Amino acid sequence: MSVRQSQMVLVLLMVVFFASGLFSGPAQLDWSAEWAALMGRGDATTQTIMWRLRLPRLMMAAFSGAALGLSGLLMQTYFRNPLAGPSVLGVSSGATLGVAMVALGGASLGWASRNMGMGSQVLGALLGGGAVMVLLGLVMGRFRSMTALLIFGLMVGYLTGALVTVLQAGADAGALQAFVHWGMGSFANGGWSSCVFILVALSGSIVWTARTCSQLDMWTMGSLTARTMGVDERKLTWSALGTAGVLAGLVTAWCGPIAFLGLATPHLVRATGISGRHSKMLWSVVLTGGALALFADGVVRWAGVPLNAVLSLVGAPVVLLLIMGRGPFGSAGKTGARL
Amino acid sequence: MSEAQLVMRDLELVYPTAGVGPLNLELSPGGNLVILGRNGAGKSTLLRSLAGLLTPRSGQVSLGGHEVGAMSPGRRAEHMAFVASTPPRGSALTVGDVVGLALEAGSKSAGPSDVAAALEMADIADWIDVQLDTLSDGMAQRVMMARAFNQAGSMVLLDEPTAFLDVVGRREVMHDLGKWCASGKSVVLATHDLEAVEQAGWANRWLVLRTPEQGGSLLLDEAFNAQKARSILTGEA
Repeated sequence: MSVRQSQMVLVLLMVVFFASGLFSGPAQLDWSAEWAALMGRGDATTQTIMWRLRLPRLMMAAFSGAALGLSGLLMQTYFRNPLAGPSVLGVSSGATLGVAMVALGGASLGWASRNMGMGSQVLGALLGGGAVMVLLGLVMGRFRSMTALLIFGLMVGYLTGALVTVLQAGADAGALQAFVHWGMGSFANGGWSSCVFILVALSGSIVWTARTCSQLDMWTMGSLTARTMGVDERKLTWSALGTAGVLAGLVTAWCGPIAFLGLATPHLVRATGISGRHSKMLWSVVLTGGALALFADGVVRWAGVPLNAVLSLVGAPVVLLLIMGRGPFGSAGKTGARL
Repeated sequence: MSEAQLVMRDLELVYPTAGVGPLNLELSPGGNLVILGRNGAGKSTLLRSLAGLLTPRSGQVSLGGHEVGAMSPGRRAEHMAFVASTPPRGSALTVGDVVGLALEAGSKSAGPSDVAAALEMADIADWIDVQLDTLSDGMAQRVMMARAFNQAGSMVLLDEPTAFLDVVGRREVMHDLGKWCASGKSVVLATHDLEAVEQAGWANRWLVLRTPEQGGSLLLDEAFNAQKARSILTGEA
């Protein structure tokens, strides 16, 4: 199967998952009523369900999945590490702390408990994720290796985790429940405006990646070779990590810290035989991420379990196969996966 | 070009701290330079300074009249390529991809036929769809050599390219470098492989990096002689 053909299959899968999500749900609506509502006719309740609930949720799933997949690809390429993903830099942890401070800290201080809307939660996530990015920028020059940078992300995760625990211990039950719910991950939290935000960021990132494909390819050969082939290391570092960070941060703000999607998507693409040149991988990763997220959201609606549970049940075995060098994920454990 | 291509002016490197300079040298187009020195003598530091990747402690490196440190990475890549002692590992790029990227970096055309022609010339046409990572060290190093040759217009810097190769591999690399010199490309080679260089017969300029304590660096303008090089390096000269 050529790259084009596999991308056609992915588009088809996305359409199928999208349509099945659009025309099914707990409301048990009549098919013709659903269609009429989509066309702007019929009763107001059905129109609300279709236009306010199902469509934005499915759009959010498709865009977020694509964004996380691309974020994961950029991180794995930049760190030359097959186990890198959007959460490694500590951006998700920072966002989680930001949300915890707004949702839990604010509530216990009494100033935000009455009006704990999505807006302040998103702001908290963006500020928290952004703070980690700025911190990273300030200390980056001191890191001598990629491993140090990965450890930085891990330690930020521990630190924010500790602070979140402190906030949780002092929070009231209602705020705690809202926070835990956010942490389980969901594509249903956003609305049209959040879809627009993520779509804009995703489009910009796709354009940047498409224009930087050759440099990213060179980067897989090591920084010395890449630099002597014309790659501006500083510029690539900032733009690649910035792009990956913004994508992960935005998705986390609305959907919660989503597990495994960013890490596993590029590997699924490689397992289908598409690897090497980024120009080849870009659209496959974007489409696979979108399709995976739509599929996972379908399972969430069908089985009634949280998104992160679904993704972890699928994602954890993928990573285990990856490091043990079994199955379709090749010899990653023994020789290091080829990016 | 009438002016010298690569010029080092009062160059003092950031490493070793004892200093091996000041180095003054002009390398005209098509000229070659073999850099010798014991482990830690500053060979890699010198090559990285010439490539514009390291800022020298003092002095200047210029290429075609432009200071290399001030050139953009893209401009530098058009003029100079770099071969490290180990080929990269972990990349999923194919041999064809690698050479294609090199042509692109040198801002030459990089269509499928250009890549095929470049691989044909390097005698590795059969490997076009093979992943670089699956090749042995020796084979992968040949690909990295072909990459460097196709990237840079005027100069290739090589940092112990034969360090991990067998006897035949070493001979082939040194032989290829001779062909590059003959085709007008400048070759700057850091190596410990004295015999292979002498055998290849193209080297006629060599620089031995030494600290002042060891007697200071030496520049010799004569056909390469392994025995003489050895006695200079061991301090028995």
